[in-house]
Amino acid sequence: MMAEIQEKKVGIISCSGEERVEGTISRVATRLVLGKLRPNKTVTLCLPLFLAGGREEREFARDYPTITVDGCDKMCAKVATERYSGNPASSIVVADLTGKWLCPKLSSRRKLNDEALAVARKVADKIAEEVDEALEHWE
Amino acid sequence: MDSSTQRKVIVIPCSGIGKVFGSISREATYELTENLRKETTQTLCLALLVSGDEESLQLVRNNKCITVDGCPLQCAEKNVKLAGGDFACSFKVVDAYKENRYLKPRTVTFLDHDGQQMATVLAEKIAKKVDDLLR
Amino acid sequence: MSEDLQTVFDKFEFRVRKGYSYTEDDLWVSVENDRVRLGISDYLQRTSGDAAFIEIAKEGSTVERHAELAMIETAKTTVSLHSPFSGKIEEVNQTLTEKPELLNLDPYGEGWLVTITPQNLENDLKSLMAAEHYFQLMTQKLQSGKLESR
Repeated sequence: MMAEIQEKKVGIISCSGEERVEGTISRVATRLVLGKLRPNKTVTLCLPLFLAGGREEREFARDYPTITVDGCDKMCAKVATERYSGNPASSIVVADLTGKWLCPKLSSRRKLNDEALAVARKVADKIAEEVDEALEHWE
Repeated sequence: MDSSTQRKVIVIPCSGIGKVFGSISREATYELTENLRKETTQTLCLALLVSGDEESLQLVRNNKCITVDGCPLQCAEKNVKLAGGDFACSFKVVDAYKENRYLKPRTVTFLDHDGQQMATVLAEKIAKKVDDLLR
Repeated sequence: MSEDLQTVFDKFEFRVRKGYSYTEDDLWVSVENDRVRLGISDYLQRTSGDAAFIEIAKEGSTVERHAELAMIETAKTTVSLHSPFSGKIEEVNQTLTEKPELLNLDPYGEGWLVTITPQNLENDLKSLMAAEHYFQLMTQKLQSGKLESR
């Protein structure tokens, strides 16, 4: 089957780690990139579906530059991408960007407080930079 | 991760990132594990489970599991079963929608009022099942 | 050889079943002797979202061309489907009432909607498109629209 992507796009595969606030931050940051920062340049790949054998997700990640966004150092999105599709174009870990673990008491994992939202925006900006980088190298 | 020896039901949402029902699966799970059945339920990261994290694997194998899926592809259910979890039952967000047709959740990143409502309704339903499982 | 024409847009595969005819609003039609079987295309199921409710005209009733045949409700939208034929509705896929997800999971197979005995089959077929033509139309729609990601 011939793939016919009409425009160059970058895949983003994010953890949504329910156990940590950093998982929620990953999720929110990815959604911000998809919906606001780079809406026409990105495609989100659903990690649960990817793990469950989703062919479309895995083929996209294999054939197009894909950025992984993880909340913690277990890096589930990165590990899964490497296992099933190949090396990601780049990998972002929320904790690395903040330089420290966010104390769960400072923000609920369920509803991000202002500080955590600010982190999410920062992560989103970083993802957007990586998207631009991937597209530039593609051309 | 919680190492309490009290019997618990593990509730695993799909948290699908692209659809509103994925967000609702996540929110319903939080409502359950942080509010309605705080002492008797726990969640864990689906991705961590699939990546082979030993602690996660032991948790799902040694406790009853309920999955909450946002779409017919049922990724949470599939992955928990593949991991050898003690799968008890699954809930589908679309069934909550079918029973509450007046609710029209629209936003994915941050749930709107209808999305929150649907998550609450779903969580209440799951809570009853949790009680049954622990009886 | 695949029974479908296929293309990929974003990450999604879109399939058009060969040998079927299509309407401009994304219904497929399969001729079975003097009857036709109808369903929705892969493009329509994908862009509409996960089906939660479906209402279909009654078995045994008659339908006029362009009249509403069925209504599908998803979390995203409500889609009204209009009949490309005048005729009698012979069968309705009752399974869809309990399992509307079949529309999404198997739109060309188990997700069929109705069979109709058309009053004027030959004439009405002329207004439909061959699979290859619909494939081109679908591709144009994809290029001009934006898909919600999964």
